[in-house]
Formats: sequence, C-alpha cells, structure tokens
Amino acid sequence: MSVDALRLRIPATSGLQSSQRMPSQARDRASENELIREAQAGSRTAFDTLVRQYDQAVLRLALHLTGSEQDAQDVHQEAFLKAYRYLGNFRFECSFYTWIYRIVTNLCLDHLRRRKARREDQAVMIDSSGEEMDLLSNVSDDRAGANPDRELQRKFLGERIREALDKLTPRERMVFELKHYQGLKLRTIGEMLNTTEETAKNTLFRATRKLRMNLAELR
Amino acid sequence: MKCELAQEQIALIVYGELPDDKVHLLEQHLAECESCRRELEAVQGLYKAMSLLPVEEPSANLIARTRLRLEEALDSMPHGSWLLRLSQKFSQGLGHMRAAPVAASVLLVLGVGIGGYAGFREGRHIHDSDQAKLIMQSAAKTGGVTAQIANVSSIVQEPNTDNVEVSYNRLVPETIHGSLDDPQIRQLLLLGAQNRINPDVRDDSVGLLANECRAGHQCTDGPIRNALMVALRYDRSPNVRLKALEGLQPYIGDDMRVRDAVLETLMNDKDATVRTQAIGLLEPVEADSSVRQVLNTVALQDDNPQIRTVSRQVLDQMPQIQ
Repeated sequence: MSVDALRLRIPATSGLQSSQRMPSQARDRASENELIREAQAGSRTAFDTLVRQYDQAVLRLALHLTGSEQDAQDVHQEAFLKAYRYLGNFRFECSFYTWIYRIVTNLCLDHLRRRKARREDQAVMIDSSGEEMDLLSNVSDDRAGANPDRELQRKFLGERIREALDKLTPRERMVFELKHYQGLKLRTIGEMLNTTEETAKNTLFRATRKLRMNLAELR
Repeated sequence: MKCELAQEQIALIVYGELPDDKVHLLEQHLAECESCRRELEAVQGLYKAMSLLPVEEPSANLIARTRLRLEEALDSMPHGSWLLRLSQKFSQGLGHMRAAPVAASVLLVLGVGIGGYAGFREGRHIHDSDQAKLIMQSAAKTGGVTAQIANVSSIVQEPNTDNVEVSYNRLVPETIHGSLDDPQIRQLLLLGAQNRINPDVRDDSVGLLANECRAGHQCTDGPIRNALMVALRYDRSPNVRLKALEGLQPYIGDDMRVRDAVLETLMNDKDATVRTQAIGLLEPVEADSSVRQVLNTVALQDDNPQIRTVSRQVLDQMPQIQ
C-alpha cells in the first residue's frame, strides 16, 4: 500500500468556493454584527444586506438538494421570511451563518421528508435501467465534455446518483450534501443540525455505506 | 486496529476529517490489511462518482427572480413582524422575571419618585398654564410655530379647495385650519413629511407638497424642494417616494441637485415602480452625460428585466430627443 496514495486526500470540490463566498469571519464579523443589530432594531435595509450576503449560497444548496428551481425558491423564501420574523431571537451565541443555515437545513429536511413520503406512497420502482455499468470504477477524472457520448453517459450517471441519494434518509442526505457538495466541516454540520460532531461523523459513514450499496445495485 | 474501526476512519480520511494522529495509525493498518485497502479504493471511487452530479451555481436570472419574490413577501408583512417582535420582547421580558424581587423594589422606589415629581409638576402646570397659553399664542403669531410643535398627527384636505386641516401636537394636541399657500400650513406640512411614526401623515404631507410644486405654487424656495428630495432618498414607504418624485418633476431640467437625486433613485431604489417612474422623468432631460451613464448602468445591471428594457429604449431614443 502506498502511503502517499492515502495521504492524497481528495479536496472537497466546492468547499473552497463556498468558504470564499461566505463572509471571511474575522474581518466581517464585526460589521455583520452591526448589521444584525440594525436589522433587529427594525431596519429593512440592514436585513436586505444580510440577505444578499447569504441568499446565493442558500439557493445553491436548496437547488442541489431539491433538484428543482421552484422548490429551491420556496425554501429560500421561507427561510428568509422565518429569519426576518425570528431575528429578534438571535442572541449572537453562534455565528449568523450557522443560525441561518440551521433554518435552511430544517426547511430542507422537511422538504425531503415530504418528498420521501410522497415517493413511498407512489411505490414506484426507479432502478429499472438494466444497463451494465460499473459506476464506481468507470469514472475518469477529465471533465471536458468534448465527446457527446461521454456527455450522455455523464448525464445518465448523474440521474443514477440522484436516485441513489434519494434512497438515503433525509438526515443522511443532508449530512452528505453539506459535507460532499457544500464542503462544510463536520463540526459545523453538527452545529447546524443541532447534534454532535460524532453523530455527524457516524451519519456520514452510514450515508457513504448506503450510497455504495445503492449504486452497486444499479450495475 | 480492527477493520471495523478502520473502515469508519476511511470514510473520514477521504473527506479530510481524520485527525493527523489517527491518520498515522490508519496508514499502519492499511499497510498490512488488503481488504481495508480495497475499502479505501472503493470509498475514493464513490467520492469521484458522486462528484459527477455537479453543484450548479444558481443563474443570475434565478437569483434576481428569487430576490424579487422575497422582497414582495417581506413588503407585505411589516406589520406582523412588528407585532411579533413586540410579543417576543414581552416573552423575553417574562424570562427575566427571575429578577422579580429586585425589580419590584426598584419599581416601588421609582413609583414613589415619579409620583412625587408628578405632583410637583402638576402644581406648577396649573399655576403656569395661563401664562403658557399666552406664550404659545404669541409664538404662533410671530411664525415661531415650529418651536412649540411636537409632531404633526393628521392632515385632511377639503375637497375641491385649497384648504387643509392640519392636526399637530404641541403641549396639547391642536388643529389649525388654512390655505395650502399659508406659510404656517406649509411649515406644518414640512414637519409632517418628517413624521417617523405615522407613514400616512408623511404620505399626505409629501403628496400635498408635491402637488403644490407641480402646480407651480411658490415652490421655488429651497425648503419644500429639499423636503421632497429627502423624502425621495430616505423615506421607507415606496408610495411616499413616488409622490416626492412626481413633485420634483418640474425641476429636473433646471436643478442639478434634483437631477442627481432622481438618478440616485434610479440606481439604488429598492422598489421597481419607483425606479420605473424615475426613468420616465428622465426622458425629457436633454441627454446629459450623467443621465446617459446611469441609464446605461441600469440597462445592464438592474434586477428587473422590464426596467432594463425600458432604460435601453430611452437610451435608444435619446439622439432623436437631442
């Protein structure tokens, strides 16, 4: 076993992007706290500024989780209306980032639960492709989409992945989404979901296990 | 290390969540365990496979639409949130009841103090009231009306006349009756335009002042035009800002400050109707370079597609206007 191969940790794809987009804490924390206080005192302008700092990241998360623009818009709107309504309860005990994400993740979890219930009602078998495809080893690193066949295959794989994700429990889906796609630290994820880092770790482990099983079923 | 533990840690190491000391132990285990090495490869394979479902950035169009939707929803709930905030404050206050014994004694001392002071004031007030009335009347006659006024509480215009009834608070609430051209009434309207508590009063005041300006009734003096510009820039109600904008219309050609205020509104106002109205006002202005520049920016950057189109159209027509 080459130890170097192990050391080569794969960087989270979107982690860097999202941390750049979120306000870099030390520098902006003071002015953000100022904005929050103004918004708590009733300033719409201050609240609008806060919204604009976070809404793109919220929309990106909701869009990826729900896979639908309409649903993502609903989550976005509900989240910020809730934030507006309950901003008075924000006590600066955690960062505003964590607070707003707590609202968003709760709404997304509700959304996933409702969707799961609907799916189970319909009792539709989704994985009926029957095509021979080794998902886990058939992935190449070059992402240039010059070859239309490869593009089509990628699209097909994308759908299969979405189906595999849909089979996770809402909580597993959420932890996996925040870790893998949004690149957040498990400690932060624990805070957002009102649980411990240890539980978040276990949930991530369970999610990866299930995903491998779900994807293997599709071979 | 047991394989079971190693497998849990493999999921963490792939996501960069395993502490360095544990990385070392895991490396040692992997060096000797074939099945765990396969597990690592499988998890790394999963990582790559899952990345095939890309995280797409929401399009600028979607962001703009979503923001607009949220703003409309927020606009329609200001009252509810205010009440809610009040109730929250109240419930938080209840949470502080642990300090009740201390608070009770503080209240007692305060009550005694306030009671004593109120009695003293009341006595003085009765004694001084006749004299106070005289002072107020003379102040009103000499135009020193603002010095005695706390705020303006309501404005009613008599239908089809130039007369208005302005209620305002002095030490006691009072009502004054007179023509819109009366300097004293105008002074009160200017005060009403700054009423921070009641948006209806601001709305009425700014509306009447704007009408006067448009009708060309003695609006050449600075204070009224300034009041309209202040309302346009800072008033929280889009209605009031719209009225202020209408009132400023006649001066946009001559007064650079008015033109700047309107341009600023076009760039920064949150309400799409106000911005649209601002474009309409700028149309007749001969294409001065700052107007062009702002229209250009708005045509490219405004969140609202309709406003972008209208600005573009106005820009396209400009050479003919010249």
